[in-house]
Amino acid sequence: MLKPFEKIVFIKDTNAVKADLTRHYAGIFSKYVRPLIEDRKVFVVQAADLGIYGEGLVIKIWPNNIYYANVKEEDIAEIVERSIVGDEVVDRLAFSPDAKQVRVVLRNCGVIDPEEIDEYLARDGYAAVEKVLSSMSPEDVIEELKKSGLRGRGGGGFPTWMKWNFARNVQSDQKYIICNADEGDPGAYMDRSVLEGDPHSVIEGMIVGGYAIGASKGYFYIRAEYPLAIERVQRAIDQAYEYGLLGEDILGSGFSFDLEIRLGAGAFVCGEETALIASIEGKRGTPRPRPPYPSIKGLWGKPTVINNVETLANVPVILSRGGDWFSTIGTETSKGTKVFALTGKVRNSGLIEVPMGTTLREIVMKVGGGVVGGKKIKAVQTGGPSGGVIPENLLDTPVDYENLRRLGSIMGSGGMIVMNEEDCMVDIAKFYLKFCVDESCGKCAPCRIGGYQLLGLLEKITMGEGEEEDLEKISLICQAMQKASLCGLGQTAPNPVISTMRYFREEYEEHVKEKMCRSGKCKRLIRYEIIQEKCVRCGMCYINCPVEAITGSKAKGFVIQQDKCVKCGKCYEVCKFGAILIGSKEPVEHRI
Amino acid sequence: MARMKLEDLRRKREELKARSKETNYIKVGMSTCGLAAGAQETYDIFKEEIERLGLDIKLKKCGCLGMCFAEPLVEVALEGLPTVIYGKVDVATAHRIVDEHICSKRIVNDHVYELHIKE
Repeated sequence: MLKPFEKIVFIKDTNAVKADLTRHYAGIFSKYVRPLIEDRKVFVVQAADLGIYGEGLVIKIWPNNIYYANVKEEDIAEIVERSIVGDEVVDRLAFSPDAKQVRVVLRNCGVIDPEEIDEYLARDGYAAVEKVLSSMSPEDVIEELKKSGLRGRGGGGFPTWMKWNFARNVQSDQKYIICNADEGDPGAYMDRSVLEGDPHSVIEGMIVGGYAIGASKGYFYIRAEYPLAIERVQRAIDQAYEYGLLGEDILGSGFSFDLEIRLGAGAFVCGEETALIASIEGKRGTPRPRPPYPSIKGLWGKPTVINNVETLANVPVILSRGGDWFSTIGTETSKGTKVFALTGKVRNSGLIEVPMGTTLREIVMKVGGGVVGGKKIKAVQTGGPSGGVIPENLLDTPVDYENLRRLGSIMGSGGMIVMNEEDCMVDIAKFYLKFCVDESCGKCAPCRIGGYQLLGLLEKITMGEGEEEDLEKISLICQAMQKASLCGLGQTAPNPVISTMRYFREEYEEHVKEKMCRSGKCKRLIRYEIIQEKCVRCGMCYINCPVEAITGSKAKGFVIQQDKCVKCGKCYEVCKFGAILIGSKEPVEHRI
Repeated sequence: MARMKLEDLRRKREELKARSKETNYIKVGMSTCGLAAGAQETYDIFKEEIERLGLDIKLKKCGCLGMCFAEPLVEVALEGLPTVIYGKVDVATAHRIVDEHICSKRIVNDHVYELHIKE
C-alpha cells in the first residue's frame, strides 16, 4: 500500500487569459521541493481552475487549506520554508476565496444520486413534509412562507404565499397544484437541472403546497424535450409512493395527495399559466384572458396553484430551516437565492446560484471567470425573450426583481447571456423577436401581426435597407404589442427590442444611416479589407480563406476580392497583427 | 418497502445519515449536460476498471454540479487524499485518474476544478 502524500499543493495562474503560466510556476515550485516529493512529503498539482480569477499566481496547500494569491516567484522560497516544511501561514500573501455562490435550491444537485430516494432522505429529505404533517396547520405553512418572502421564480416574482392563500381561501371540493416545468427560454436550463439532479425536492415542495392549499392532486407539466428529467421525476414519484410519501394517508397523517406527469409538446406559450392549463385539459394550448386567475378558477374550473420548479424546490428548505432564516438571504424586496444559467461569451458557462443582490459584474467576473478571450464585455441579457439587455455601465446593479425591471429587463426564469463586442445588438433583438414570432399562438392580433411586422422592420435594417422612419415605427409597434397583447408572451416580446433601442440606439442609427454594423454580424453591411500598412504578409488569411477570395503572394502582398468574399470573418480571426479591417459596405477610401 | 408512518421515516433517515459517511467513492455527473459531454463513456470506464482491478471504491451517479463548461465532471474521494472534482474527464483522463489518483495516490494535473460555495 502506497503511503499518501502529507501535503498537496495546487497551483494555478489565475490571470491566464491567453498564456497560462501554471506549468511554468509549477516547475519552479517543484524545484524547491524536489527532495520532499521523493520522500512523499509533498506533491505539486497543476490545477485547471481554483474558482479564483484575476488574482495572479494562486497556491492552495492541503490539508491546512491555506490559500495564497498574487504570489511572485521570489515568494515561493518563503512559502516552501514556512508552509510546506513548517506549518505556518505567510500572512502577507494569505487569501480567502470569496464564495459568491450560495446553494439553497441546488443544495443536492451534484451531491446525491437523483435516482435514489434514500440519498435524499439522508440529506434531510422529506423533513419538511414530516414537520408540516405532524405539527403545522395549512395556515402555519402559509404564514411561514410569508415570513420567508419567497417570490415566484418563473419570472413574474409574485409572492408565493399570496398565491397559495388565494387558493386556500376558495371553497371547492377539489383543488390542484401544478409544477410548471415548461422551461423554454433560449439558453436556460435551470429547471431541467433541478429535476434531473434533485427531483425529490420538487416533489416535496408540491406535497407541502398541496397540504397548504387543500389540494389532493398535483401535476408536473414537463416539456417532452426533457426525456431524462421526465424519467427521473417518474422514478422519484414511484419511490415516493412506495415509501408512503404520496398517495392515501401520507405517513399516517390522514392527508392524501396524488401526483402525476403531463407532457408538454414543446410550445413556448404553454409556459403561460392559462395556456398550460388548457394543455393539461387536452385542449389547444392557447392563453385566455385573466381574471379569473387560476387560483380562483383554474384546471377543470377548480382553484389551481401553478408554481415554477425552482420556487417549489425552495419550499422544503424554508419549512425545515424556517422562513426567518430564508429572509436573511437576499435584498429588501427579493429574498433568497436565484439560480441562473450563465451562458454566452463567458469563460465558465454553467449553472450558478447566488443570493439576490449580487451584482451582475460579480456574477460574470467572479463566478463566471470573466469574458472569453479577455474581450470587452458589452452587455448582459437576462430574462430570455421576455427580458432585455443591461449595458456594461450598469453591471454594478444588484440583481433583484425591482432593479432588473427598472433597467428595462426582467428576472425571468434565469437565463443570463453574456455578450461582448462581437455581438450586434440589432441582431440580438432580431434573434429574440424571431423566437417569439415563431412561438406566438396567433390568437390575438397585436402579437400575431405586430410581431411579424416588427421582425420585418428589423430584418430590413440588418439587410442595410433601413430608413430613418423605421425606428419610429418600431417604437410604435412595440408600445402597441405591450399594451394590447392578450398574454405575457406578446406583452413582453418587444422587450429585447425596446431595451436594445434604449441602450444601444447608436447601433440602430449606424445600421440605418451609415449602413454599417460595428460588430461585423450583419453580413450585408460589412466588408473586410486588408490594411496594407499593418500587413506583414504572413499569408495566414490567404491560407485560411475557405473560398479563395484572397489573392496575392508573400512577395506582393494580399488583397481581398470583394466579389468572391462570403464575409465569414475567418481572415479577421486568424490575423495576429490586426491588419484586417471590418468596414462598412462601401469601400474604405470612399467613406473618408 | 412498506408505506411508512412518521416514526418510520424519522428512524430511516437517522439510519441513512449514519451510513452516508462514505469516504471511498467516484461520483460522475450524469445529467443532460454531463451525458452530452460523454459522461456515460467515462462512467463505463470507471466501472470496468473498478471490476478489473478489484478496487474497493463505490461508483456513484449524481446530477449537475453547475460547472457545465468542464463536463464530464467526476468527484473522487479517497482516504488520505483531498476530495477533488475533476473536469473534462474523457476516456483517457478517466484512465489517468484510475492509474494516478487511485492506484498511485497522486492527483492528476490539469483537470482539478474547485468550486467555492456556501450552504
